[in-house]
Amino acid sequence: MTTSFEQQRLDRQARRKETLRRFTGHPSLMIGTVILLLLVAVALAAPWLAPYSPTRTSLVNTLQDASWTHPLGTDQFGRDVLSRLIHGTRVSLLVAFWVVTLSLVIGTIIGGIAGFLGGWIDRGINVVNDILMAFPGFLLALAIVATQGSSLESVIIAVSIAYTPRVTAVMRSVALTIRPRPFIEASRSIGMTSTRILFRHVIPNALPPVIVVATLSAASAILAEAGLSFLGLGVRPPIPTWGNIIADGQASITTNPLISISSGLCIAAMVIALNLIGDGLRDALDPQMRRQTAKIL
Amino acid sequence: MTHPAHTPLLELKNICKTFNDTTSWRGRSSKGVQAVANATLSLYPNETLGLVGETGSGKSTLGRIALRLIAPSSGTVMFEGQDITHLPARLMREKRQRMQMVFQDPYGSLDPRMSVDKLVSEPLSVHDVSYAERQEKMQAALRQVGLDPSLAHRYPHEFSGGQRQRIGIARAMVLDPTLLVLDEPVSALDVSIQAQVLNLLHEIQVRTQVSYLFIAHDLSVVRHISHRVAVMYLGRIVEIGTRDAIYTRPKHPYTVSLLSAVPIPDPDLERTRKRIPLIGEIGSANNTPNGCRFHPRCPRAREMAQQPSIAKQKIGSIEIPIICTTQDPALVGSEQEHACACHFPHQTF
Amino acid sequence: MSNASKILLDIRHLSVAVGDVQSKTPLIRDVSLHVKARETLAIVGESGSGKTLSFLAALGIAPNNVKVTAGEVLFEGDDLTKLNPNELRARRGTAISMVFQDPLSALNPVFSIGTQIIEVLRAHLPMTHAQARARAIELLERVHIPDPHRRVDDYPHQFSGGMRQRALIAMAIALEPKVLIADEPTTALDVTVQAQVLELLSQLREETGMALVLITHDLGLVARHADRVAVFYAGSVVEQAGVQDLFHEPRHPYTVSLFRTIPRLDSPANTALTPIVGQPPNLAQLPEGCPFAPRCYLVKPDCGSAQVKLVDTTNKEHLSACHYWPEVHPES
Repeated sequence: MTTSFEQQRLDRQARRKETLRRFTGHPSLMIGTVILLLLVAVALAAPWLAPYSPTRTSLVNTLQDASWTHPLGTDQFGRDVLSRLIHGTRVSLLVAFWVVTLSLVIGTIIGGIAGFLGGWIDRGINVVNDILMAFPGFLLALAIVATQGSSLESVIIAVSIAYTPRVTAVMRSVALTIRPRPFIEASRSIGMTSTRILFRHVIPNALPPVIVVATLSAASAILAEAGLSFLGLGVRPPIPTWGNIIADGQASITTNPLISISSGLCIAAMVIALNLIGDGLRDALDPQMRRQTAKIL
Repeated sequence: MTHPAHTPLLELKNICKTFNDTTSWRGRSSKGVQAVANATLSLYPNETLGLVGETGSGKSTLGRIALRLIAPSSGTVMFEGQDITHLPARLMREKRQRMQMVFQDPYGSLDPRMSVDKLVSEPLSVHDVSYAERQEKMQAALRQVGLDPSLAHRYPHEFSGGQRQRIGIARAMVLDPTLLVLDEPVSALDVSIQAQVLNLLHEIQVRTQVSYLFIAHDLSVVRHISHRVAVMYLGRIVEIGTRDAIYTRPKHPYTVSLLSAVPIPDPDLERTRKRIPLIGEIGSANNTPNGCRFHPRCPRAREMAQQPSIAKQKIGSIEIPIICTTQDPALVGSEQEHACACHFPHQTF
Repeated sequence: MSNASKILLDIRHLSVAVGDVQSKTPLIRDVSLHVKARETLAIVGESGSGKTLSFLAALGIAPNNVKVTAGEVLFEGDDLTKLNPNELRARRGTAISMVFQDPLSALNPVFSIGTQIIEVLRAHLPMTHAQARARAIELLERVHIPDPHRRVDDYPHQFSGGMRQRALIAMAIALEPKVLIADEPTTALDVTVQAQVLELLSQLREETGMALVLITHDLGLVARHADRVAVFYAGSVVEQAGVQDLFHEPRHPYTVSLFRTIPRLDSPANTALTPIVGQPPNLAQLPEGCPFAPRCYLVKPDCGSAQVKLVDTTNKEHLSACHYWPEVHPES
């Protein structure tokens, strides 16, 4: 006979195993996660991994081709490209992290309020959100950075603002589908206030699709940051980001195409990883296991 | 049993509810859906009032109005002797501790992301009960419905439909309410589980003296559990009385037809019973007829129109008594005993 | 009773399982049923009993990973389980037709009722659009839908529940099937409409001589409309009998328990309901021996290991899967 405590422990173990299986059993999710973890490891170990300081210039060694000492060559300031690439990982990851976090928090709350409370609050939020979504994300980020000046902070803020409306819209739709469900009515009948219902019942049930959208938005955000930096409007030099490395590599594209190609590949890797994770999460978080076969029997 | 001497626990007086009653910005108004029209009933402590009706009868709406989950368009809701029709939300919350609801869908009425212990103790935390007391009451409520509290950390999808319905009942009972509105609580369950839950509800009533407003469409189930029964058609209460009065001496033609349509598991009886079929489909609440709402389908009206002494009118190819097409009959009689809303209540056929 | 009626559909020892090559879970075990022309066979069972799945599998429309593992389904000389998908499709609708439970989800909301009926007709018969339309109107009239010339162009949401079910029936009989399977045709309907729809089905059966298989959990409907009854529990048939025999002398503890557990209008007031203890069975985890043993009031020590088969009781038409069937008698 198991006591309640024992039973709880067993159940928790079983549940953990089941959840783990759902995630590890999904190939794209695993591949995406591995790539992302690798990138995180590189970012964290950057000071030790990079052979040179990313900002150390050398007027003697400018525009060197790939060699044993400089596997990817040097740029027009004599800086080692490989080291810059490694340090560039930090910026990209920072942008990804902040965009996901900010868009999730802001988008969930605003979208939840709009979808759940409805009425003119919903209409008001929708108008603003639709206007924001009408602009291509990149252009919006561009406009914001143009007014705020270019720096890491303004890039992060600009990109977050540009990509949050999507999350808000998805959260709102999901909240709309949750609103008529019986357990929400049940919560009202025990006397819960709307705010409490929103945070305790609506948002937890709405999270899975919203997380997926936020993750996919991060991929677009990385591309936007790279684009901004490429145009010289993003993070200021000499801080390396993959975007401005591509820009730097433009000049020597014929002699040392590796510079632009390698940074392009890094961006691609990051975006692919985020997309795989986003898709994989959608599948892994989805099954609430509606046993359809039972209904047929 | 009914106690006419006591004050009723719940009183609904002349409740009307119309949905989507709008005037568009161009000045055109739509009549809206009249879900409930002039419904009056009372529920006493320690009794079960069954509320039966088919689609569009308004029974679910009336049940929700009783709990003020929906506001009535007009009329009064009295609970424990106090008028709560327009009570502000803060004060209403306090009342809600004693009036709870059990829902039809055992799958949808529990938040799938909350464990059962949190689900059942949630009403307590809404009303600011201490953690220790919450745990105690939650476990007691689960035991009361026959579930083992040591399994309360599990999630709803790990339980069967019948068990989930019990969890819903536990959640409703955890605050010790005096009134429970049950909206089709057993229709989504298998027949072998229905009896379990019905017996449980009976047990709970014996133990706690809670009153039930039992809303259902299954007449056999309602007969089993109710002391009194009210029959609704298209938003009106057409007949109300003691269970035996309604089931053995129905007066309203709709009740008579309804009872004759319920299949009985006895082949000899079933194949020889007299069916009183209704003409046409159930009316739409969008477009309620003038006069008695039942007259377009009423077999009795057509029969009465045959009598020479009754003034009649021709509608299409059918003759209907004029009184049926122009006057909405009032509920006549004592709702504790037997009341009926028909111009010709004493005719039987 | 039907004397020299032909057997139209003969299901013999049908077993169905779900799953892939590695793990197959049996869902339906050794089910044998037959239905004759002009008769109504009622299939009684609760959810999860396999009553619907048996017929879906027999017609080849079960979900993808559900497969027939044994047995045969004989119809007019052909074994349906051996036919290829095209041949099966030709049979469905023309020879055997099915009406599903929820009329709202069975009908396509973006096409008019007429269009859907016409589609069914023209898929199987060489008809022009005009001919099919005329026949569609005829069919709607046959199922007593008022004003069929106008309603044929209406959309499903413009019909009430009862009328939608009739429209589904119209589609099902459009090709004049020999066997009509109605799966819980009235569960979603009000009781007054229920009676009308079932009367319609009985009437159609009389007129066309087709066989009607009525899948339901409502014993009252069975009492009124069925000629013979098969009771399902946990994926097998536990009792099979003529309707009078089943109600007057049930020979399986599950059937008896069912009778005791449902409230009925004709019982004395305040009769207690005797619930069936325990939970409905999980088909993936059935115990050894008789699947009803854990909940059976008559259970004996050897029920947990006995092989379960349908056997004749006092007459060949009344079969029971209970070894102790002579001890099963309805209590007063």
